Amino acid sequence: MFFSHLSFRQELGDDSREKKEIKEEARKSQHQVEQSEKRMIKLQSDGTELVTNIQVAADSRESRRQTEVEEAHRLRVEKLENEAKSSLEKFEEITRKWTVAKMKEIPQDLRDSLSSQQQLCALLIEDKNKLIHELQKEMKLSDDRYVKDLKKQAEDVDLMIERMEDQVKFLMGSYRDELDQIENSFEHERKILLTGNRKKWEQYTKERRDKELENVTQRMKRVEEYEVLLQQLRTEDTEEYNMIKIKLDTDVQILEQQLQQMKATYQLNQEKLEYNFQVLKKRDEENTITKSQQKRKITRLQDVVNNLKIKCANQEKQSREENQNLTDDYTRIMQQYKHMQKKMRHFAAIDAKKFEEVWLMNEEEVKALVEKALDTDRLVHEQQLGLAWQRPSLAFMERCGPLQPHRQTQKTAHQAISELLQLGQTSGLGKGKYQEAGVGPGAESPGLAVEVYDSGAGLESGSSEVEREREGSEGEHSGTVSVKIVKKLLELLCDEAGFLIESKLLKLLSPLEKDEQSLMKLDSIFTAMGIESEEDVYKLADFFMKYRHTQGEQTQDVSAKWGVASPQAERGEFTSSCSPPSDLIHPNDVLVALRAFTAQHCRPRELAASHQHSMLGLGGRDDTEDAAYWEAMGDVIPEAKLKIWGALEAALDKYHIVLTERSKFITDTQSLKQQNTELRMLLHQYVNSRVNAELEIPPNLVMQLAPEGTN
Amino acid sequence: FANSNISPGAGMYPPVAKLNLAADPRKMRRIIAEDPEWSLTVVPLLSNLCLQHIVRNFEEKPILEELLPRHKDYVLERLSPSLPLQVTANLISDDGYWKRCCKQRWGLCDVSSYGHSWKRMFFERHLENIIELYIPDATDPKTVLGMVPLCRNYVKRLDISQLMPPIKEPQKSEDDDNSDSASDMGMDGPSMDHFDFGILLDKLNHLEEFHVVYRVKGCGMNFEWNLFEFTFRDCESLAKALKSCKTLKVLRIHQSKVDDEKCRQLVNNLLDHPSLRELNLSHNLIGDRGARAIGKLLNRSKLERLTVYDNNIRGPGAQAIAYALAKNSSLLSLNLRLNRLGDEGGQAIAQALLKNRTLKWLHLGGNEMTEPTATVLSQVLVQNNTLRSINLSCNRLGMDGGKVLEEGMCHNSSMVECDIRLTEVGQESDYCISQVVRNNQNQAHRKHNTEENLAQTSEHY
Repeated sequence: MFFSHLSFRQELGDDSREKKEIKEEARKSQHQVEQSEKRMIKLQSDGTELVTNIQVAADSRESRRQTEVEEAHRLRVEKLENEAKSSLEKFEEITRKWTVAKMKEIPQDLRDSLSSQQQLCALLIEDKNKLIHELQKEMKLSDDRYVKDLKKQAEDVDLMIERMEDQVKFLMGSYRDELDQIENSFEHERKILLTGNRKKWEQYTKERRDKELENVTQRMKRVEEYEVLLQQLRTEDTEEYNMIKIKLDTDVQILEQQLQQMKATYQLNQEKLEYNFQVLKKRDEENTITKSQQKRKITRLQDVVNNLKIKCANQEKQSREENQNLTDDYTRIMQQYKHMQKKMRHFAAIDAKKFEEVWLMNEEEVKALVEKALDTDRLVHEQQLGLAWQRPSLAFMERCGPLQPHRQTQKTAHQAISELLQLGQTSGLGKGKYQEAGVGPGAESPGLAVEVYDSGAGLESGSSEVEREREGSEGEHSGTVSVKIVKKLLELLCDEAGFLIESKLLKLLSPLEKDEQSLMKLDSIFTAMGIESEEDVYKLADFFMKYRHTQGEQTQDVSAKWGVASPQAERGEFTSSCSPPSDLIHPNDVLVALRAFTAQHCRPRELAASHQHSMLGLGGRDDTEDAAYWEAMGDVIPEAKLKIWGALEAALDKYHIVLTERSKFITDTQSLKQQNTELRMLLHQYVNSRVNAELEIPPNLVMQLAPEGTN
Repeated sequence: FANSNISPGAGMYPPVAKLNLAADPRKMRRIIAEDPEWSLTVVPLLSNLCLQHIVRNFEEKPILEELLPRHKDYVLERLSPSLPLQVTANLISDDGYWKRCCKQRWGLCDVSSYGHSWKRMFFERHLENIIELYIPDATDPKTVLGMVPLCRNYVKRLDISQLMPPIKEPQKSEDDDNSDSASDMGMDGPSMDHFDFGILLDKLNHLEEFHVVYRVKGCGMNFEWNLFEFTFRDCESLAKALKSCKTLKVLRIHQSKVDDEKCRQLVNNLLDHPSLRELNLSHNLIGDRGARAIGKLLNRSKLERLTVYDNNIRGPGAQAIAYALAKNSSLLSLNLRLNRLGDEGGQAIAQALLKNRTLKWLHLGGNEMTEPTATVLSQVLVQNNTLRSINLSCNRLGMDGGKVLEEGMCHNSSMVECDIRLTEVGQESDYCISQVVRNNQNQAHRKHNTEENLAQTSEHY
């Protein structure tokens, strides 16, 4: 640990040193680069200087030339000016001399002067020429100089190019050298670095090798130590092992014995268990079989259930459809039925009418026949028999139309009530009026009309029966229930059972008289309760009376028991005590009684209603008397008379036969007479004819002979 | 047609020759690796045929932009360089084609001076050729104007190295005397003395550089003065043309005998030019009045470089320029080499430099300056730290002047170049000055390096 730390530190130190070295070396190379850069810049600037030197020289030459040219120009100008001055002077002198020459008159002088003038002019011209020559010379010189300059410039340019090329070459060479140097320096650096690194590397590897060797020796040592220790441990362990082995061997023996025992018990248990196992297996098998059977059954049943469900559904569907169909049928049939009823009624009416017509017709006919028969009878009696004839009493002859059976229909409850009320009032109002009034409300409510009609029809059928009953019952009623009591009862009902009346009806009734109001009310109550006939009314009254008897006792008991009775009860008691017959039912009990009554009464009535309903529409006329009627008509001539007539007929027949024979004989005689006449005529003819004359033998001769012969 | 397309060599032979397969080495080979066009397919692709057709009929129906890039390259590779420019100028932008055009026309070409654009090179040189061969009144101006819509978008520089004068009338011998002086503005003479740039410059809306020389190249023994004449008419038209060219940045008129009057006219038209950056009027005859005009121009434009070497500017002209320079804040470089400033002008310029804070490069070589100028300049060296380079070569500064300069130089830290060759300064001061300059150079270099390093590191992070 400590060593490694130290080495680490060493490494660190080495590292930092290395870095320093690298820096130094890097600086070296950089230095080299900088140096070469500087050198190159210097070289470059030197080179450019060398090259530009030519230009500068040319410049200086040029400037010098310019100054020279300027100077020459100035000199030339001066010279020219001087020359111009002198030439002007000379020219002036010449012109002056011209005036002098003009003055001269001697040709000699003139010639002299002219020649001198000429000389002067020549001199002037010579001067000028000289000047021109000089100038031309100068020009030539400058031309030469120009050419020289050109040459020089060309040389300069060549030189410059040469120098530039040299420079370029030189620069390239020096660049290459510098580059080589820089590279060398870098290479050197690299080498140094490499060697340093290699040294370090070797050092480290050596260290590592040493360390490894050390480790190996240490390890060897330790191995030996451990081996000794191991040997020791082994011997100890073997001894211990032997001891434990002996101990364990004995243990093993004991355990083996136990094991044997255990094995035995185990064997036993095993067999037992095996047996149990077998049994259980068997059972299990059975169970599985039954289970499978059950399962199968379940599945089957499930199937059945499903099927049934489906069937049920189908059935339901079917039935629903059927139901639908049936309802449709029903409605249709109902309609048909109604239609039929209507038709039937129509036909009944028509039939009745027809019947009446037929009846009338027949009756008329029969009557005519009767009349005729009677007439004939009278004639027979008077003329043939010469007996006085008397007309038999013929009551039926007076009447006409179909025989109206006087039906004594049961009085309706309404009528009964009205009667009763009338009785109560003892007013002089006619029964017919009440009937009208009774019919009124019936017509007003068309819904009821049918019912009334139906019931009416039903009642009609059993009219005779009812009649009889009524006769009986009236007697009874009169016996049991007095009319007054009934009337009171009815009033009570009217008060107590007001709830059964329709509110609408009440409104309608408000303007009517009290009696009429109560009548209407009762009527509607009865229709609501289903009481239709007088009989029912009386039954009701009777029931009430009976009820009162039974109930009255109870109430009395109750009141007695309680001591203090309710005011109503008191009143009821009071009323019952006040009323002379004290038969009336207590108003509180009316509803209860009514309910009981309806419960009792309605069933038989329903039965009767159904019975009546089945008879509905078979509206039959009572034709029992018709036969008698017609019989009576037919018996207008009694049996005795018929006998007489028979005898008379027989006699007359005989008489007739005789007469017919007589008439026959008469006719025979008559025909014979006619034959005789005819024959006579013929004979006469024959005799008298001309032909006879022609004949050999005239017939008349023959005739004469014949009759002689025949005769 | 089909034969020629099966293989380039096969079409050359008559059908009979095909029997002799061994004669054509190509027939004997399976693969011809050296021919990039060679393909194994015997029947050329329909697309190739179509493209060849397009190439053949390009002049009548130029189809290029609609093609796929691959096909476009194919067509461009095969287009003939001799197609009329009316077809190709605005249609083809591919440099390969224009390179072929240039190579075919001029052989050796250096495209680097044309912004590495072959098309620009072609059109610039083409236009230059047309203008250089333009003869007034003889050539139809339409030959130039016709080129304008074609090359307008590509020409950035015009370097006119010669301008033809009009053809001489028969009365040549009479005019010989007058030809020396400026042209006599002959009423019945030619309508112009040289090509009129007025019709051209305002139409070239990308022109940035304009170099012109009013002379004839290679006249040899046919030399006549009037071949080298820059007349007033020329000056007038050129000045107007320059004024109309709003994109111009560099103007160079040299070796054209520009004297004071012409210079003034040019400068008058260049005043307040929106883009002019560089003016070069070297090798002319500009005197003090012209220099005064230039001085006026300095502060009424954005000139950055002014070169008027080899002229005739003297003290007063230099004073005018110096006056402008003192107030100027845009000029970076001033070259007054080979003038005659003298001490008067040199001192004036130096005085101006005491105030100026923008000029970096100054050339006063060959100006007959002496010690007094050097004393003022030494002051400048002390005070001014924007001046980077000064050239005083070919001036007789003398030993004393050198010493003064040396003194001034000792206090300077911005001068990177100082040329004092042929100024008769002592070797000692020369050495000292060069030492200082070197130090300054090193410093500048180091500064530059550190700046670069900083920039690099900042870029890095």
